[in-house]
Amino acid sequence: MDFSALNDTLASKSYSQIADICDSLILQVSSQGVAFQDEWPYAIHLLGHIYINDINSARFLWKRIPLAVKESQPEVLAAWKIGQKLWTRDYAGVHEAIREFNWSPEAQGIVTSFSELYTKRIFELLVSAYSTISTHDTALFLGLNASDAANYALERGWTLDHASKMLTVKKQVRSAL
Amino acid sequence: MNSVATLVAQIQGLSGSTSDVNQLHTILKQFEDLFKSESTRLAPLLTELNPSIHSLGYLYILEACSSAPISKEQASELVLSVARFIDLSAAEQIRLAPDKFISVCKRFKDQIMLLEDPMRGVAPMLTALRKLQYSSVQLTTLHPDFLLLCLLAKCYKTGLSILEDDIFEVDQPRDFFLYCYYGGMICIGQKKFSKALELLHNVVTAPMSVLNAIAIEAYKKYILVSLIHLGQFSISFPKYTSSVAQRNLKNFSQPYLELVNSYCTGKISELESFVQANNEKFESDKNLGLVKQVVSSMYKRNIQRLTQTYLTLSLQDIAHTVQLNSAKEAEMHVLQMIQDGEIYATINQKDGMVRFLEDPEQYKTCEMIERIDSSIQRMMVLSRKLTDMGEQLSCDPLYLGKVGRERQRFDFDDFDTVPSKFTI
Repeated sequence: MDFSALNDTLASKSYSQIADICDSLILQVSSQGVAFQDEWPYAIHLLGHIYINDINSARFLWKRIPLAVKESQPEVLAAWKIGQKLWTRDYAGVHEAIREFNWSPEAQGIVTSFSELYTKRIFELLVSAYSTISTHDTALFLGLNASDAANYALERGWTLDHASKMLTVKKQVRSAL
Repeated sequence: MNSVATLVAQIQGLSGSTSDVNQLHTILKQFEDLFKSESTRLAPLLTELNPSIHSLGYLYILEACSSAPISKEQASELVLSVARFIDLSAAEQIRLAPDKFISVCKRFKDQIMLLEDPMRGVAPMLTALRKLQYSSVQLTTLHPDFLLLCLLAKCYKTGLSILEDDIFEVDQPRDFFLYCYYGGMICIGQKKFSKALELLHNVVTAPMSVLNAIAIEAYKKYILVSLIHLGQFSISFPKYTSSVAQRNLKNFSQPYLELVNSYCTGKISELESFVQANNEKFESDKNLGLVKQVVSSMYKRNIQRLTQTYLTLSLQDIAHTVQLNSAKEAEMHVLQMIQDGEIYATINQKDGMVRFLEDPEQYKTCEMIERIDSSIQRMMVLSRKLTDMGEQLSCDPLYLGKVGRERQRFDFDDFDTVPSKFTI
């Protein structure tokens, strides 16, 4: 099996392309009748789908993974756990799932990048969805402790009422033509 | 075997140019009987041919080989050689003998199913249908087979790629029914409910002289997707639906229509108990997953309905009205709806309130202009197609005959503004 395209993409950190590359490669290899399941980088494949927020495809991939692989490769389980948390919208759980596993060097790059991307996405969601929110909840959403979360928000223009521990969101102005 | 040897020589010799290949085609057609009688001994010939240069000849021999009965051990080998052929073959040569190619691919699919490894067939079948098509608007008989393999192999995203093509030409109605039905299921899997609704609608309203099972199953899913995506379902069919469908489809979908009634009460507890009572029926139709999605969509609908009455509402009130357990649960529901773009609102945790907002879309951005522009382009293409079809139809003898016959039944005034007889 020729993983050079996949490895190049990982090396160049173009993580958003991982899913498509893995999808076409797995179909190709499969049509050649090769028994690939033991060597297939399922963890990276799952993380590829997770990175582009295609949790549907991650779920279907998970269903296809043979039981033997699920039982022998903890990194595959750990990668799926992130997907599960995203699927059930356990916003805080996603951060925990990322942190609690000791990722292999191949997976670390994409996991770290996803973690930053996810935090950014969640922050944008908070900006659009909340006018005021407690520091406690902000901390859960961002996967930081309360004071780090408050600082993160303050750096981006939010204001903090120390007495009530409430953050006031700074809304973004929509850009038009 | 002499004739077989000359056959190979001719294939090798006449695969150079288009005119040579056409000549070869005529020769190959004359050898039909030979192919049938020697089918079990033809396989070794394939090693002397190059699938990309001698595609037509290779195809004829391969078709003969694959139509002979084979054992399970040979199945795996056949599958491999067909996959390789599909990959390497030249599309122009294949299109000269589409029936043969289709036969090979159908056999290929049957063997894949026997081997119980549908994923093996996904990539080859996609390549095959693209080579068979002379344009992306043509629906081939391989389309539904490809979609079926995608469904079985759980490669939904791959299946989605062909569903983006606009289909204008259909050969066999059955292919169209299956394509839309399987396509609808793929879209449901990828949560593209709008497209799923469109495809299922096509199955339900397609011309039918006799009721078919595909339409029945599609109607059930159509009802469920309509509830999930639109929050409602209309039992009246559009005018262009066949009378067969209009008269009969509802009879096979009673529990689903009752589900609609239950849904329309807006009461989650009623809906849940109805689903519980009819669990087995939905399960045996393999629709239980969809039904559960209908139930969870009810919360969304109820919250959306609130935006029509209130400008602000407390999380506690939302929880109470929508039958959620706590203000926190209500907050999470609202947050998820904001994330999915199903509602415009901001949550104020300090006061425990939600403020409902107007859609901030001002239709002034570049992306919006591009979207409108591409929609206009698509409409223009469609409009031109309709004009062409209209012109073709107005020259069609069957149509003209019917119009001619019906003229007598029209009222005097209908086609003549100047009456030819005055009564004073």
